[in-house]
Amino acid sequence: MIKKQIHSLRIYFAEAWLSYHGRFAITSPFGYIASKLGFPFFLMLFFIFMGKFVGFTNPVYIVIGNVLLIPASNGMSGVTLAIGEERQWGTLSYVLGSPAPRLPVFTGRAFFYILDGFVTAVLGLAIAAGLFHLDLSQINFAMLLVCILLIAVTSSGLGFLFGSISLISRDGWIILNTFLSALYILVGVNFPIESLPSGLQTVAYGLPLTRGIMAARLALQGAGWSAISHLVAGEVLMGAIYILAGYLCFKLIEKRSMASGTLDAM
Amino acid sequence: MRAMPWRLIKQQVAVQFRTFTLDFWSLGLFVIQPAVFTAVGMLLSHAAGNAMPDLVYTVIGGGIMGMWSGIVFTSSFDIIGDRRNGVLEMIVGSPTSLTTIEAIRSLTNVLTGLFSLGLAFIAALAIFGYSLRNVNFWGVGVSLLLLLFAMWCIGVFLANFLAWSRVSSTFVDYLEMPVAFLCGFMYPIRVLPVWLQVLSGVLPIRWALQAMNESLLGNRDWSFLVTHWAVAIAISLVFIAITRWLQVKVQDSIRVNGELSSI
Repeated sequence: MIKKQIHSLRIYFAEAWLSYHGRFAITSPFGYIASKLGFPFFLMLFFIFMGKFVGFTNPVYIVIGNVLLIPASNGMSGVTLAIGEERQWGTLSYVLGSPAPRLPVFTGRAFFYILDGFVTAVLGLAIAAGLFHLDLSQINFAMLLVCILLIAVTSSGLGFLFGSISLISRDGWIILNTFLSALYILVGVNFPIESLPSGLQTVAYGLPLTRGIMAARLALQGAGWSAISHLVAGEVLMGAIYILAGYLCFKLIEKRSMASGTLDAM
Repeated sequence: MRAMPWRLIKQQVAVQFRTFTLDFWSLGLFVIQPAVFTAVGMLLSHAAGNAMPDLVYTVIGGGIMGMWSGIVFTSSFDIIGDRRNGVLEMIVGSPTSLTTIEAIRSLTNVLTGLFSLGLAFIAALAIFGYSLRNVNFWGVGVSLLLLLFAMWCIGVFLANFLAWSRVSSTFVDYLEMPVAFLCGFMYPIRVLPVWLQVLSGVLPIRWALQAMNESLLGNRDWSFLVTHWAVAIAISLVFIAITRWLQVKVQDSIRVNGELSSI
């Protein structure tokens, strides 16, 4: 039993490292940094000036929201690519044909992307604090770190789901990008959720990130565990639902492809 | 004097439309993404307490955003796709020059971008009741033509920049937002700090777009408009000159080392 657990753990970390290393091994340092911080930085500036023009007087709200979106977009796109590229590079049949247990093979893809997203967001926050003179005097730093890590983990659930979709659709990456754009509106990155029409507010609360971002904003204002615990619990629940949905989706696709013998057509 | 290669243009445009333009990816670039940016602008405006969003910058500006995203990604993916599919060598070796092919492809991409702008105009007119009463139509028309020309020049430049070096794709991949931010696609350029306004002056799109937005807002100061048009044309021509220089470098590189795959 213990031997089996150690075997699964070894597969988990081997998958985690190979998947992450394989993605970035040929990337130049400029490309790596630009992909992590470049796009989010200029997107944030774009939204800040857009807000300034329309009279939105709280640019710090936009700055913090966009920094908190970094682990989410990082985790989602990283995990989606890690799964979806198996099909693109023709290695899917080897993965599905191997005797390795599916759970560590599948969930291992997220580990380094979660870690990467967490580190990038903390770094982004430090840079933003310096550039925009954020007032961090009240900050509950430990709670903020917990919230950022939580956002990175729960968003990987969406990554699993979109990764599974990319196994059955050639447009998986495009669907993910479209969804990522929708997050600029839905999860309280650029303006409070209350500004959304009621229908969209319901959608927002049905997604991971929404409560995590709200909790992180409260932690930045110095809120303690008691003030954010309900938001954290809600975020954990939403993340668990999406991770489970992604895994079940993957298992379903695998079962269907095994039955029909059409791995390439998946 | 050589006649315009109309058959080539017609054929290339048709191929470009079928292979790159009419797909789900383009729908995302030209329709969904601009709609999202417009929605963010409108909701920010609502959160700021405004009853109506600014139609020129927030709604029509979303269309400009779609045009630009389309140009950047289709122009860069054209060359990346050719390289990945191993047809770049065939294009360089064909009697029709890479320059001509890229020029026609970029033209198709720019014209496709008009779809995005058209949708934004229709949304502004039909949904938000945008009034055309004060619009300087001549100003808008000329500015739009120059905006298309400026985007075409940048599209051709990007395509050749990518052909020049594999490493350049890393740079181009992240060009979308900085240019959108510097040129003020969804806000007037005056909201930027002065040093950023000066920096944005190197982009021809900025000048043509500023003239178009001012014309949409009813500006009839012809000296302002003509100055902006002249600067847009001049900088576009500089981009064309740099593109020509890059083309010579690419051809020289091929002649010297014979390694088509390295360009």
